[in-house]
Amino acid sequence: MSSWWSGASIRVRLTVWYTVVLSLMLVLYATATFVAVRHEFREQLEEQQQIDTADAPSSLTTDPEARLQEQLREVLVVLVLGLPLIVVLAGAGGYVLARRALAPIDHLAAEARRLTADRLHERLSVPNQHDEVGRLAAVFNDTFARLEASFGQLGRFTADASHELRTPLAVIRGIGEMALRETRTPAEYKDAIGSMLEDVDRLTRLVDTLLRLSRGDAGTIRLSPDVVDLGELARDVVSSLGILAEERRQRLQIAVAANVRVAADRLVLRDAITNVVDNAIKYGPPDSAIDVRVDANGQQATLTVADQGPGIPDQHRDRVFDRFYRIDEGRSRESGGTGLGLAIAKWAVEVNGGTISLEPAASGSLFRIVLPRIAVSAPRQVQPGTPA
Amino acid sequence: MLVVEDERKLAHVVSSALQAEHYDVVVAATGEDGFYRASAELFDLVVLDLMLPGRNGLEILQKLRQRHIETPVLILTARDGVEDRVLGLDLGADDYLVKPFALPELLARIRALLRRGRPSEALRLKAGDLELDLVARRASRGDRAVELTGREFELLEYLLRHQGHLVSREMLARDVWKEPRRATPLDNVIDVQMARLRRKIDCDGTARLIHTVRGVGFVVREEEP
Repeated sequence: MSSWWSGASIRVRLTVWYTVVLSLMLVLYATATFVAVRHEFREQLEEQQQIDTADAPSSLTTDPEARLQEQLREVLVVLVLGLPLIVVLAGAGGYVLARRALAPIDHLAAEARRLTADRLHERLSVPNQHDEVGRLAAVFNDTFARLEASFGQLGRFTADASHELRTPLAVIRGIGEMALRETRTPAEYKDAIGSMLEDVDRLTRLVDTLLRLSRGDAGTIRLSPDVVDLGELARDVVSSLGILAEERRQRLQIAVAANVRVAADRLVLRDAITNVVDNAIKYGPPDSAIDVRVDANGQQATLTVADQGPGIPDQHRDRVFDRFYRIDEGRSRESGGTGLGLAIAKWAVEVNGGTISLEPAASGSLFRIVLPRIAVSAPRQVQPGTPA
Repeated sequence: MLVVEDERKLAHVVSSALQAEHYDVVVAATGEDGFYRASAELFDLVVLDLMLPGRNGLEILQKLRQRHIETPVLILTARDGVEDRVLGLDLGADDYLVKPFALPELLARIRALLRRGRPSEALRLKAGDLELDLVARRASRGDRAVELTGREFELLEYLLRHQGHLVSREMLARDVWKEPRRATPLDNVIDVQMARLRRKIDCDGTARLIHTVRGVGFVVREEEP
């Protein structure tokens, strides 16, 4: 029974429910009617008998009791025979109505089935956006839009990745072919081989980074969360990258509030900060200042990195964290970037429960990392007697 | 020394590099052959690839250790998942390298494995007229004292310990900077630090000691290679 029930279509189930409920109501109604009619008849009969006894006490020609029984039986027959007929008619009507009500859903399903990965740009038609089906269609369309966006991103990423892998491959091949074209001095060979190895190195690093990102996407990177002092971590990064800023005669300044603790995987979070600070050093002009600040703001811990570089135009602001996204094609590759630094930073912050954003700034660019802060006050006291 | 590696080119590269360092090398191309040789002959070290036709590297390792053959084993693997490495080391490997690896690193690790158990080094390191006093943490070149920062000293110490051998940026990142992962920013840091160290060590017409080998890394050597 239960398997038949769950196997039946909504239309059938709806009709059965409707018919059962209707039958119960009708039976109730019929019973009530019958009882009321009988009561009415009895009262009439009693009145009749009183009149009869007053007028002609001995006239007992016809039996009024028997007549009453006869009339009641007729009413009962009408009710009992009419009831199934009405139920059957109503059931049939209900079945037809259910089909009409459910038709848009079948239609929707048929439309949705047409939409495959390569036709994701199409949308379902929304006949009436205020009714249930319309809302369902709108929800579907929303999902399709998001699917389309992520499919698009995936496609772009694959294309970009292949392109980025191809460039060092082309260099390696070109240098090798050039070196073999004629006999050269050992120094020239050494130079050629060294240059090829440099690009092998680049290729290796790129593959490593891609692998990390894809593991991040798949969620197979195991984190080891720890209580991390954000200020200390920032100082650590700044002291390790300080030499790069020095080389560019930049002032790498750091100001940290005390006791800003967050729960995070230290190494992963350190990667994020390293990439953002490195980015600032790379784009900040010589003789400028780079400011790293760590602050606590209520429940939030924030780390900001501000440089005095050219800044990032508004239209690029959302996309700087995209993989391989470059505002200026030539420049960042020249400085040895893979185009994945900020993408790694974004992943690393988000996997630790935080957010990273590029804030609008009057000049230069201002990156902000926000993480939930761990309270430093004494361990929370459990009030005795408070219900758990 | 036994190299068990099925990829012909890689086996050739590894064995030539080892021969250039004057090690005797035997190459086994299949797991079966590798296992047979490793259990029949006596080697100082086995370089073992994990993905092999015939018999899996981990299986060979396990069998060897079960037979109480304690030859040091360095495993090569294309997989860098933590589980794989832990599994290899648990089964009795002495060290591991993830492909693609740098040859200088392979050689350095082999030297370290062969050196294992011997009493370790002196308190002074020398290369030409460069001297490093590890106790006082002072450096001098000829009569001239060289002022070094902490990092510079560690860097120079590492280079001198691997004197005459190539040192890759990976090795420096891991052993001097103690960074488990090598990222682009760190490479730049290493290069800048190296340039500064070189300015302090190899200046005013003295013979150059620190050499850059393009695409590979650095080496401390007395004369031009």
